[in-house]
Amino acid sequence: MIAADQTENWVAPHASTELLGSKLPWLNTLRKQALEHFEKQGLPGVRDEDWRYTNLRALKSGEYRLSTAKALNHELPSSDFTRLVIVDGHLDKSTSSGLNQHADEGFIVASLADAIEQAYVETAFGSTLPELQHGFTALNTAYAQDGYVVYLPKGSQLSKVLEVVFVHQSSDVVSHTRNLIIAEANSQCTVIERHIGQEGAVYLNNSVTEIIAGDNAHIDHYKVQQESADAFHVGAVFINQASGSQVKNHNIALNGLVTRNDIHSNLLGQGAHMEMNGLVLGQGRQHVDNHTLVNHAVPNCTSDEYYKTVLDDSSRSVFRGRIVVAEDAQQTNADQQNNNLLLSENAEADSKPQLEIYADDVKCSHGATVGQLDPKSLFYLKSRGIADAQARALLTFAFANEVVERIGVDSIREELTRTMAGELLTGLEDLV
Amino acid sequence: MLKITNLHASVFNTPILNGIDLEVKPGEVHAIMGPNGSGKSTLSNVIAGRDGYEITQGSIDYLGKDLSEMEAEERACEGIFLAFQYPVEIPGVSNMAMLKAALNSIRKYNGEEEIKAGDFLKLIREKADLVEMKQEFLKRAVNEGFSGGEKKRNEILQMAMLEPKLALLDETDSGLDIDALKIVSQGVNALRSPDRAMVLVTHYQRLLDYIVPDYVHVLANGRIVKSGDKSLALELEEKGYSWIEGLQEAS
Repeated sequence: MIAADQTENWVAPHASTELLGSKLPWLNTLRKQALEHFEKQGLPGVRDEDWRYTNLRALKSGEYRLSTAKALNHELPSSDFTRLVIVDGHLDKSTSSGLNQHADEGFIVASLADAIEQAYVETAFGSTLPELQHGFTALNTAYAQDGYVVYLPKGSQLSKVLEVVFVHQSSDVVSHTRNLIIAEANSQCTVIERHIGQEGAVYLNNSVTEIIAGDNAHIDHYKVQQESADAFHVGAVFINQASGSQVKNHNIALNGLVTRNDIHSNLLGQGAHMEMNGLVLGQGRQHVDNHTLVNHAVPNCTSDEYYKTVLDDSSRSVFRGRIVVAEDAQQTNADQQNNNLLLSENAEADSKPQLEIYADDVKCSHGATVGQLDPKSLFYLKSRGIADAQARALLTFAFANEVVERIGVDSIREELTRTMAGELLTGLEDLV
Repeated sequence: MLKITNLHASVFNTPILNGIDLEVKPGEVHAIMGPNGSGKSTLSNVIAGRDGYEITQGSIDYLGKDLSEMEAEERACEGIFLAFQYPVEIPGVSNMAMLKAALNSIRKYNGEEEIKAGDFLKLIREKADLVEMKQEFLKRAVNEGFSGGEKKRNEILQMAMLEPKLALLDETDSGLDIDALKIVSQGVNALRSPDRAMVLVTHYQRLLDYIVPDYVHVLANGRIVKSGDKSLALELEEKGYSWIEGLQEAS
């Protein structure tokens, strides 16, 4: 059976590795359960409904050893933010400026390796995971070696935006980073995850982030994904939200061979609000899968989801947006939009909104579109003297901008404008 | 400035224009009238370079250059402007952004420097006053949610900003009430100059009460069947387009 082969491939090479926190009984129990889970079901394949558009053949044909700690081998562009640098799945302390392990300023920013024995880690680790999880998530629990931890006690806030840069520079490795954002009542933070890879490197970045938002906590979480064009990115963000909490997740996919994101939010306390924003800029042979779930478990919560996809060359994307409204989750207000723009004849977008509503007094809306640049708009702009390339850039940017302008961090907005239009929109940034 | 010789053109392979001859000199205003389906709008779209509008025979010479060799954006940079019959709504692109991109593109083409941000704002405010357009419209997405009259005023604003040598106004009067028609006409008249030619395409004589043409041409079945001065428009108004059909049969 194929599944058995895969399972062996993924488990056997890790058998002799000394794992993080191997003396912690709670962690050993979780790891054992996860491994059993994985051995039973293996990696997902095209026969699984949630994975039928995701071609993992290239991934499965490779061999990956568990990544080990490395020093950063090149300089990163400077940044206005405090920063953690995670190289091949392990924190590189010498290049990280954002560590704050003693709660000096009322909060903690640490590596998972350093914080693993803390009580808040024990409580949070695995607490947001869905019952039915796929093999990659199970593998992550079984082999997590490092990651970042943000712990915000009641009423505290991160004084600056925290940027965590995940750099992959080695080939034929897999890294399983586990990240935790634990925000107690009335706390606040902005965290940017940036995933980058050395050009030409082939690896699997299997990263899981758990976000626990306490009562009235405000969390802005960004994920900017720019893996190497030959790399695999499997990312999951699992979120539990208490009453009145407001979480925004911005999921931006710019590069990588195959990208799969699972983003789940459980609205568990009344008055919670979830905003999910997504932008995919696909090119070359890139394949991007985004699977989201907003789980309205209690009454009076709101969610707002907006995903935009721009595909060029032979790139492909899949969007599956599930909204579940539980039987007693009355007065739910949930919106979902997914718009896809195809810039090339060979690009393909699949969109699958999925609403499961068990309550009767709710407001839910969803919409999905797939289209091309409007020739009438293009001619209109060109008839004003605007060159073809700039006219296309303006229209493409206009398409994506509704999501871009939801981004609260200026430098990311500017970066996306540049990515989409190069210099074609210089001088117009404030006007479009 | 513009010399059209024996022009035959097709729209997505359907022949529409069947041999048009027309010469327009700087400073002149020509009106092209004709019944629905006569090819009036096709003519202006062929000159502007719309995709799918193909010259099958004859030529269009503009300032000594063969237009058929030029892309739409190049024609615009050379000074041709088309005011659309149905201006397009472009969500997400502001009027300001479009006009700044257009103006700088034309300047670049002509070897001039880009306009300074402050000068651009000053210029666009001044031109907006010309068509009585509120400042807030400048920041709004191009034509999005604009009324019919606002869209047409926006066309004239763009024309005022880009200062073309040859302006083609395609049924600019359609869908306008009398107040909007006055504002639009005032804008157009303010832009009349000895170096600028205008071609007005219209179904009705009404527009010509406000923008008085030097020449009037009547188009039917893709051909100019009669030319004259402004009195021709009045005659046409009186006798109706059925008179033209009679003329065609006679010729």
